Amino acid sequence: MFRRAAVMVFAVLAHATALAAQDAPSRERVIEEAEQAKFEALKPAAPGKAEAYVARISDMFLSGQMHWHAFWQNAYSGGGFTIGAGYTRYVSSYNWIDVRGSITPSGYKRLEAQFFAPDLFKRRGTLSVLGGWREATQVNFFGIGATTPQENRTNFGFTQPYLGATLEVFPTRKLFMVRGDVEVSQWNQGPASGSVTSIEQVYTPQTLPGLGASPIYLHTQATVGIDSRPARGYTRRGGFYGVTIHDYTDNDNLYGFNQVDYTALQHIPILREAWVLAFRAFAQTTYDKSGQTIPFFMMPSFSGGSDLRAYASWRLRDLNSLLLQGEWRANINRFLEMALFYDTGTVAPTPGDLWHTSSKADYGLGFRFHGPITTPLRIELAKGSEGFVLNFSASQVF
Amino acid sequence: MRRHLAMSAVVIAVALAAAVTAAGPTFYVDDPIAREPERKSAAKAKPLGIDLFFEYSFNLFVNASKKPSNRRAGNINTVDEVPDSSWLVNRIGSTPLTPEQVARGVNSDTVPSPEKWTLLREKSAGTNPGFTAKDANGETWFLQFDSPDFPEASTGGVEIATKLFWALGYNMVETFITKFDPARVEIDPKATVKRPSGARTPFTRDDIDRVLERAARNADGTYRASAGRLLPGKVLGPFRYSGTRSDDPNDLVPHQDRRELRALRVFGAWTNLVDWKAGNTLDTLVEEDGRTVIKHYLQDVGSSFGMANNLHEWDMGWEYYYDGPATKRRFLTYGFALSPWQTVPYTEYSSVGLFEGDRFNPTVWKPQTPVLAYIELRADDAFWAARKVMAFTDEQIRAAVHTGQYSDPAAEAHLAAVLIKRRDAIGRAYLPAINPIVNPSLGADGRLTFENAAVAARFAEPPAAYRAAWARFDNATGATTSIGRSDSTTTSTMAPGALPDSSGSYVQIDISADSTAHPTWQQPVRTHFRRTADGWKLVGLERLPDAPPSTPNPAPRATKDQ
Repeated sequence: MFRRAAVMVFAVLAHATALAAQDAPSRERVIEEAEQAKFEALKPAAPGKAEAYVARISDMFLSGQMHWHAFWQNAYSGGGFTIGAGYTRYVSSYNWIDVRGSITPSGYKRLEAQFFAPDLFKRRGTLSVLGGWREATQVNFFGIGATTPQENRTNFGFTQPYLGATLEVFPTRKLFMVRGDVEVSQWNQGPASGSVTSIEQVYTPQTLPGLGASPIYLHTQATVGIDSRPARGYTRRGGFYGVTIHDYTDNDNLYGFNQVDYTALQHIPILREAWVLAFRAFAQTTYDKSGQTIPFFMMPSFSGGSDLRAYASWRLRDLNSLLLQGEWRANINRFLEMALFYDTGTVAPTPGDLWHTSSKADYGLGFRFHGPITTPLRIELAKGSEGFVLNFSASQVF
Repeated sequence: MRRHLAMSAVVIAVALAAAVTAAGPTFYVDDPIAREPERKSAAKAKPLGIDLFFEYSFNLFVNASKKPSNRRAGNINTVDEVPDSSWLVNRIGSTPLTPEQVARGVNSDTVPSPEKWTLLREKSAGTNPGFTAKDANGETWFLQFDSPDFPEASTGGVEIATKLFWALGYNMVETFITKFDPARVEIDPKATVKRPSGARTPFTRDDIDRVLERAARNADGTYRASAGRLLPGKVLGPFRYSGTRSDDPNDLVPHQDRRELRALRVFGAWTNLVDWKAGNTLDTLVEEDGRTVIKHYLQDVGSSFGMANNLHEWDMGWEYYYDGPATKRRFLTYGFALSPWQTVPYTEYSSVGLFEGDRFNPTVWKPQTPVLAYIELRADDAFWAARKVMAFTDEQIRAAVHTGQYSDPAAEAHLAAVLIKRRDAIGRAYLPAINPIVNPSLGADGRLTFENAAVAARFAEPPAAYRAAWARFDNATGATTSIGRSDSTTTSTMAPGALPDSSGSYVQIDISADSTAHPTWQQPVRTHFRRTADGWKLVGLERLPDAPPSTPNPAPRATKDQ
């Protein structure tokens, strides 16, 4: 490179000196001499090292050759900081499989494989088949009901092998959606590890339904909804209104039950999306099957990071739950959004009691780093009656 | 680092060469040149891609914080004009153009034959759906469709912007609005599509459906499409808005110093061409007059006007993708420090989008990311560009807009009206910003006449007086000998003394103006005339001298974010 540059330097100076010595040269000739000088030292055009490196990475992403990826999802809410990785490979032009795993310092583990077909029914539907195994070692349990004290905290653990499939279809491509799921899994509930009192030291199977149980469920569910959001991972407009009916059939007919989820969420942009008011209402109701019991670990609850954000995960549990959330989001730029939020939620033994039971509430401030349709990082500081909680997440809150 | 040092050495050499030649005449016999020579063969040039992600990142996080160098444009001739070249051919403002010529633009008589399309490939760039296809005559075209949410917008925008940028002098791709009937489509047996998996597999009917699902469909089942003709020559990929091609001997001026590229800041503001990036340009290797040269094109100018192809793009034309000051302001006020784009009233047509002329301020207009040529715009570059824009008549603008073939006459009228308003806003912003003396002429009798572009366009009141400082000029040494001064309240003044009358002699006249409203007019326009057998010929015009980088750029810029 230096040799080429030296040749070019010499040529430029030589030509310039020659020109100066000539009588009345023309402007064209001066320029032509410079062109000649460059011509004698031409070299192939090439991107700089940094650009070449970035281009190589971009190509890998765009050509389906970026197989390894980070995986931040832990085995179960409350697992804490998670590290993980996955390996994706296309098995056909559009369909892929992903094998991934994650682990947390508290020993939560997840290992699973997913097959995903994104383009079924002329791009109206998607199919996901997911199978794996996970372990949660320190799941919170504070008792059943809306008024359980914080000091009643115990922990339990479980392992769960699972295999299921989800088919989602937008028959008209927009708005109206239906989804069906079927899953077989076994919840092996057991003692907790860690410093918090393990659940079996406080409760017995007689005082806590399902303690120590290991039911094998055939879980089927069906959802119908109206989804007007441009994207689920990040949006500033549109909403979702849907109902999901679950059937949990226990292989031993001991712990079977039904559950209905009601979801309503709406985003209201203000002043060309300078702000967005976002609201979400989410209710879960359960119905036991004749002669069977709903185990405590399957009761509706709040996972923490995306619902009652200032409270420990699984802070409230009962047969029914109601969550109301409101956010006032401010658009800072195309990649950053701030949000002031308020959450309130409660649980109750019957749906009617949800309106009369005391509730927990929190408020806080959040930052979301997002793209046009995804939210790779959400950071929120929430304050509730039990203190502050700082949440990190890799998904949209709702 | 080695590459950087080597390039530095070459740059120093060029500077030394300039110093050496500076010892020669200031003006050559052929000044001012009307065309760059570009005589050397560029046949060795090879295709080169530019990574979009890298370019955007570099623009947003490196270029955006750069101070302009304040260097004069490097490709202008001695009278402050841009010679024709492989980059630009002077058209409007230099050559009479009828509205019909503007409406025709670069297009030839050979239009697409949509009776049958044979698909060759998918469209690989841009957000709008499309194909590469052969028409019934076997000619290759790049087809792109409108988004279902904005029917006629993209196709109309491409058509109109192509005409306007052609008239402004750029090399453009021939573009026509045509029809695509899925019932009259064949797939070339060799046609393939690149899949998300990275594999290239045969093109299928389902691939057609996949594209058309994202396109605006006509009531009769056909699709309106914009057809861009395949360019002649070998495609080399996009050009950069900075530096030069090391494999092109004729590419001597760093692109950020090319006036026609800097001027895209003004032309882009006029048309709201927000997607200003290398990816929307194209270099081709062509044979011209027995030489192999690289010809530089603008392409895919459909992001003009108020197109909003994607979500959340209210701020297009007002802010960069990432805009530090705006981010800080909204962060600190929780969004209560509103930006203009949040309150500006728009008359919205789905075929036009967010495009208005009442609140438009070209000096604060921003593309999605700032290329270096955008940063380097000086006031004299902007003045040159504004004169080009102001050269468009209302009729020419309406003729160009009519080629968009909008089904709603109100949308067409609205777009033309906004373009006219924005044209005037550009003239108002840039013509009076610096000394607007143009077209100086020195008669054999010693009478100097000129025009004031800002006053002529009624964007400024006439100054109280014009002042001319006359001097004999030694072309060999650059030395001057004062002849005297002459003042006038009109755009005409006589030499204060005898002018040299020998052929080949020179005079230098610095023309300034006294205007309390425009103190910048006191900066004289420096002109040089050479005595010829036919009288005095203008050979030099310098509107603004080179200024050191530390000097604030005189171009009207946004001093704070909007």
